[in-house]
Amino acid sequence: MARASTPQRKALVTVVAWLIAFLIFFPILWTILTSFKTEIDAISIPPKFLNFHWTLENYATVQERSDYFQHFMNSVIISVGSTVLALIVAIPAAWSMAFVPGRRTKDVLMWMLSTKMMPAVGVLIPIYLIFRDWGLLDSRTGLVIVLMLMNLPIVVWMLYTYFKEIPGEILEAARMDGASLGKEIVYILTPMAVPGIASTLLLNIILAWNEAFWTLNLTAVNSAPLTAFIASYSSPEGLFYAKLSAASTLAIAPILILGWFSQKQLVRGLTFGAVK
Amino acid sequence: MATQASRAAGRLMISPAVILLFLWMIVPLGMTIYFSFLRYNLLIPGDNPFTGFENYRYFFTDPNFWPALFNTLLLVGGVLLITTVGGILLALLLDQPMWGQGVVRVLVIAPFFVMPTVSALVWKNMFMNPVNGLFGWLAGVFGLPPFDFLSQAPLFSIILIVAWQWLPFATLILLTALQSLDSEQLEAAEMDGAGPVSRFFHIMLPHLSRAATVVILIQTIFLLSIFAEILVTTNGGPGNASTNLTYLVYSQSLLQYDVGLGSAGGVIAVILANIVAIFLMRMIGKNLET
Repeated sequence: MARASTPQRKALVTVVAWLIAFLIFFPILWTILTSFKTEIDAISIPPKFLNFHWTLENYATVQERSDYFQHFMNSVIISVGSTVLALIVAIPAAWSMAFVPGRRTKDVLMWMLSTKMMPAVGVLIPIYLIFRDWGLLDSRTGLVIVLMLMNLPIVVWMLYTYFKEIPGEILEAARMDGASLGKEIVYILTPMAVPGIASTLLLNIILAWNEAFWTLNLTAVNSAPLTAFIASYSSPEGLFYAKLSAASTLAIAPILILGWFSQKQLVRGLTFGAVK
Repeated sequence: MATQASRAAGRLMISPAVILLFLWMIVPLGMTIYFSFLRYNLLIPGDNPFTGFENYRYFFTDPNFWPALFNTLLLVGGVLLITTVGGILLALLLDQPMWGQGVVRVLVIAPFFVMPTVSALVWKNMFMNPVNGLFGWLAGVFGLPPFDFLSQAPLFSIILIVAWQWLPFATLILLTALQSLDSEQLEAAEMDGAGPVSRFFHIMLPHLSRAATVVILIQTIFLLSIFAEILVTTNGGPGNASTNLTYLVYSQSLLQYDVGLGSAGGVIAVILANIVAIFLMRMIGKNLET
């Protein structure tokens, strides 16, 4: 085995890696390609890879038939709303755990993580009944609340790991110089915390955007986000590959781009900094 | 040193999160436990008498219970096996010098961002469908009869779909860990005459164990509650061949409106998850505290 990579070896690795990457990505590529086909081209055997009549009509039909834009907006409101609410609750909590830790801080953190061990199905019925009685079924408000609570432990943990890395000496120096708690937060802490908060925001929007258990069970028509809307294509009358593909492409595109953009933070965020 | 005032402020700032999470945990869980002891069906209004452990007895003797438990473990175990082993191999490959590493990485992690309902529908219709799916066509090219994945091997097909979604996550985490490995250590081992296999087992694998633990922990949390993929592809069928605990509880409570029985199932799902969690926490504790 050569230590330094020989050109031949590098070429071989490149070919194998590209081939595997292409295979893994293929279902997504195929969905995107199919979204530009006519329904007849979409189901033709042998399949048409690039030699089909390109069309945009599926995208128009998806919007016309079911007001796609409304579902898209539901997804945006639910994922952004729940994430922002969670941040509002979690930022002070993570701040105090990182900078004024008490004796029980570690226990509190572990306890928060342990709430994620509770499978959603264990609490589905009560939430469903509470929502029914309070008129929250099929409402965006209800989903914002549920997803906010669901993601809260992860948000707290992520922020905690980011805040932990802000050196405490800077804060102490500021305090020595007579900065008040308020000034310390606004002028020193916040600017240093912004990157961590932004990463947490991104990651939780991705998680909330793709969340499907609660959205499928608590929404019907009005508040259905894209996860639930796409599922309606599984009924036989909705089975059109090209239109399904167009709707799918629109549903995954924003989050795919956001995900690629934040892949580095993804590792840190989802592993709470345990893997670097 | 934290002052008295900042300590008080700290407690004040942490309380909303703690109170909210406490309520979120205790109120629904308490209700689920309470309902699990009642005869309570939404279709049969009236009072809901206390029935002791009757719901649990029904749930345990339900012919679907043991298959569902078995399917849950098989689904979690199967996906974990594929993604962890596959993730390590892929990470090793992607860690090598190559042209276009950035693009390859972007392509490989893409499935992680696809929402479960989309990936389930795409796989079900455009790949696994025996009539106009790509796999059927591929089989035909090789002169084989098309295989009806979702009706002949439903659980296996779902494992494939879910593994496709989670392989990127495992790869990304393991690759990140691999890149932090000290290359001097590897070179020293090589100088001492260690072959690639022993270098892998004695240096790389131990280095990856922490990342692998994290991958297993996080995936298990999500995989125990796989739902959308089953709902969209097989509806738990045929029969109960692809029903997991989450889906079983869903169908009993929201399809058959049996709140009591569904709640008993929910409590059992929580207990199962916690048994798994205890094992995982032990593992994590061993791996992360160092």
